[in-house]
Amino acid sequence: MVGMSMQPYGIQSMLKEGYRHLSGLDEAVIKNIEACKELSTITRTSLGPNGMNKMVINHLDKLFVTNDAATIVNELEIQHPAAKLLVLAAKAQQEEIGDGANLTISFAGELLQNAEELIRMGLHPSEIISGYTKAVSKAVEILEQLVETGSETMDVRNKDEVISRMRAAVASKQFGQEEIICSLVTDACIQVCPKNPTNFNVDNVRVSKLLGGGLHNSCIVRGMVLKSDAVGSIKRMEKAKVAVFAGGVDTTATETKGTVLIHSAEQLENYAKTEEAKVEELIKAVAESGAKVIVSGGSIGEMALHFCERYKIMVLKISSKFELRRFCRTAGAVAHLKLSRPSPEDLGYVDSISVEEIGGVTVTIARNEEGGNSISTVVLRGSTDSILDDLERAVDDGVNTYKAMCRDSRIVPGAAATEIELAQRLKEYANAEIGLDKYAITKYAESFEFVPKTLADNAGLNAMEIIAALYTGHGSGNTKLGIDLEEGACKDVSETKVWDLFATKLFALKYASDAACTVLRVDQIIMAKPAGGPRRDAAQAAGAGAEED
Amino acid sequence: MSVRVLNPNAEVLNKSAALHMTINAAKGLQDVLKSNLGPKGTIKMLVGGSGDIKLTKDGNTLLKEMQIQNPTAIMIARTAVAQDDISGDGTTSTVIFIGELMKQSERCIDEGMHPRVLVDGFEIAKRATLQFLDTFKTPVVMGDEPDKEILKMVARTTLRTKLYEGLADQLTDIVVNSVLCIRKPQEPIDLFMVEIMHMRHKFDVDTRLVEGLVLDHGSRHPDMKRRAENCHILTCNVSLEYEKSEINAGFFYSNAEQREAMVTAERRSVDERVQKIIELKNKVCAGNDNSFVILNQKGIDPPSLDLLAREGIIALRRAKRRNMERLVLACGGEAVNSVDDLTPDCLGWAGLVYEHVLGEEKYTFVEQVKNPHSCTILIKGPNDHTIAQIKDAVRDGLRSVKNTLEDECVVLGAGAFEVAARQHLINEVKKTVQGRAQLGVEAFANALLVVPKTLAENAGLDTQDVIISLTSEHDKGNIVGLDLQDGEPVDPQLAGIFDNYSVKRQLINSGPVIASQLLLVDEVIRAGRNMRKPT
Repeated sequence: MVGMSMQPYGIQSMLKEGYRHLSGLDEAVIKNIEACKELSTITRTSLGPNGMNKMVINHLDKLFVTNDAATIVNELEIQHPAAKLLVLAAKAQQEEIGDGANLTISFAGELLQNAEELIRMGLHPSEIISGYTKAVSKAVEILEQLVETGSETMDVRNKDEVISRMRAAVASKQFGQEEIICSLVTDACIQVCPKNPTNFNVDNVRVSKLLGGGLHNSCIVRGMVLKSDAVGSIKRMEKAKVAVFAGGVDTTATETKGTVLIHSAEQLENYAKTEEAKVEELIKAVAESGAKVIVSGGSIGEMALHFCERYKIMVLKISSKFELRRFCRTAGAVAHLKLSRPSPEDLGYVDSISVEEIGGVTVTIARNEEGGNSISTVVLRGSTDSILDDLERAVDDGVNTYKAMCRDSRIVPGAAATEIELAQRLKEYANAEIGLDKYAITKYAESFEFVPKTLADNAGLNAMEIIAALYTGHGSGNTKLGIDLEEGACKDVSETKVWDLFATKLFALKYASDAACTVLRVDQIIMAKPAGGPRRDAAQAAGAGAEED
Repeated sequence: MSVRVLNPNAEVLNKSAALHMTINAAKGLQDVLKSNLGPKGTIKMLVGGSGDIKLTKDGNTLLKEMQIQNPTAIMIARTAVAQDDISGDGTTSTVIFIGELMKQSERCIDEGMHPRVLVDGFEIAKRATLQFLDTFKTPVVMGDEPDKEILKMVARTTLRTKLYEGLADQLTDIVVNSVLCIRKPQEPIDLFMVEIMHMRHKFDVDTRLVEGLVLDHGSRHPDMKRRAENCHILTCNVSLEYEKSEINAGFFYSNAEQREAMVTAERRSVDERVQKIIELKNKVCAGNDNSFVILNQKGIDPPSLDLLAREGIIALRRAKRRNMERLVLACGGEAVNSVDDLTPDCLGWAGLVYEHVLGEEKYTFVEQVKNPHSCTILIKGPNDHTIAQIKDAVRDGLRSVKNTLEDECVVLGAGAFEVAARQHLINEVKKTVQGRAQLGVEAFANALLVVPKTLAENAGLDTQDVIISLTSEHDKGNIVGLDLQDGEPVDPQLAGIFDNYSVKRQLINSGPVIASQLLLVDEVIRAGRNMRKPT
């Protein structure tokens, strides 16, 4: 009876137990902004070449040491709904471009922080949104003007041009080692770049991490590196034709269950013999077609293996369907389903295939220098697993940048030069605006300042001085003035050669603004009771931002 | 209390307590949904049990996702759902209209009026309003060539209440064109023929209309072409895979040759079917560089795929049943259930078939079809909640266009109808009513004003000012609505704001009914057996 007679007024009474309902400016909007701010403070210190690393231990107790924002937010398992929106924006950026996730989160955080000031000043969120929306379209317009002239066309096979575009992205992950990594990645990418560069597939550049050695021992393999041993005793083959079988290399079997009907001992013997003869016939046929290497996607029968050895055929087993497909691309082979005599055009070719031992790991390296090869592998060496993981992420970012530049090669000045210019021009635009939008646009412009500020902060420089110097430079018309983090001064980016891809900036800008506006648009949150399962421990919830009230 | 005597565990609320409980619940629900109404409404964020996020402005979605427990609130929510089922829009309006009716009634009841009298007044007012709606509506002719502008205006009005302006305007064209695409003369419109497909990719403004079909899967063979032009499309429902027999069968063999023979025999029937398709392909594609595409509802196993791939045929397996129907409408031809009598007439045509890969997901586009009667709205957005939001909006937009085509009339929006109806009730109808029912009519009339009031409130305007300027304009004989930008009266016809006739009709019909029911409740008893916890 209590529930009904003491009916509290409002929605809370109507919902199921365990539901939480937050509404209004103070409860929903400000709280949301705070959570997002928390999140962006976490990622912000990782921005730029001098960004700090984070040590994240996820729920599986796996340790990550990285400054890659996409990884950090992924492993953090954010719970707060508003902060989650930012994470989703970062994920979208990561999927679309593969780089700039940190910029997205930090920028969205900054936008929201500034929005909070405006709300405290008395502006309504809808007015801020309208101002921000105007600012975004203006910023995109300006960004297009800032594109370096002559960068619309590029030769994606020219190493220097590629490196100049890739350096900034890689440097922000592995500062100091960007030259080595860039050169590795560029080589790998150019090797596999198809005739029409827009069809470049990130999947074609593989990364193989091998413990031991140092980054200097890393190299490029034109072909594939498989972390497995050959099945038979033949471990090396040069200039060999390859037959690929997606099914197993074994005796054939019917779909329906078969039973061998044997009446006498003789038949048993005969059966074994015919079986043997059959397998031999098949293997012989393969050997006669000229193939010296058999790659199997399934099991390899003992008997089949025996005959392969006899016909001096090297046997490899690749159980992953995708790896097998890649191998086909490397060798230019067509996979057969069943063990049968392959036609000559279905056979692939590799220059060399050999089993080697690198750093205590047995690997099979298939090389194919020319013709039909569309896979290349970056072999990374490093002393610990986490270093290798981090290197891999840097390589991934590099490869993704390559993909992005194949589609849109335009570049804008990096090292915060673009951000300051955007801030400056947007402020001018805001001044010309009448009405309440003016405040929001100004704040939007100011939000850009966080990039130079963070870059300088992370490098241990005096941020205020740098920003002032940048503004002075840009005010006098030098649109390419950026920070030189090594010298701690402002320098023209055409000297320091720090360029960012236009597409990265564009998408980061749009996704961040989109996320920020979405957070601002929400004025009510209705949370269901969390579904069952073990409670997360308190430490994690605290790490996820302002979760508790 | 008598019930207590009968069952000591019963919970009873009686007389005014019951009435106030229902009124409070209605008002509470109104409060929640109020801020959603209109283009300036705010978004609600719903967080599911597993932490998934949903953003919505749609009253119906909100009511569905919130698990409401209060009995009165459930009743109102059901009416809103019914509203959605019938017209696809106006759920928020329904809820706030009911809430407002209850609020107005509360005032009258507090002054000593009997609910029954109020209910009588509601009934009179409802009938009068419906009559008025019929005179007020703007008829539009929807012949073979419907007026696209009107349809666009209706769609825009609906979409703008669900999404932000820029995106809504873009979707307007998409929605209108897709409905016109599937419309066939003399047949009811089946909105299921518009496939709504989503891709998590790029931005929300990249949403587009595909004249043809988008399937959310791709070919399963690495060597099949990714792109083909001038394609013959074979839509079929033929199993191209080995099927185990129902009975428990087994093979007996005594040497490997016999087994080999078994293996081939086992596959023969499947291979024959594949062969027939290949023959057809050779027949239609001989001497030209046309391509051949098979879309199969059943499975195609790897050996068959392999055979088809070698012939340069693109084959997609396990297409959705609903897509089979749409494919035929989009590409022409007919869906075949057997390969025995294949003729070139069964084939459809598409200018372009290509595969698009997004990370792990594959999409197949069938485009450039001739005379499509089915099309796809391809929704794009950077994340799931954006996509879900657009999806809900598109669905409502489609419904609104369909309603207009079927109603053959529209109603002026922006609160114009509500104000006009209220003035009509107060100035004309009330005088004809005898006795105390007049007050019921008055309460009803005032409750109608909740729509323009809420619109104004959400836009940050002064409610009183707006209502006064609107009613005075109406008294002068000008039919005006509310301009949410500056709060001035505006002619909805010029601003292009039109609502669906059926939405308003349903709203006027169902609102008072449920309000009357709630008002006539004088006792709430909870005494039934507890279903959850058996004792």
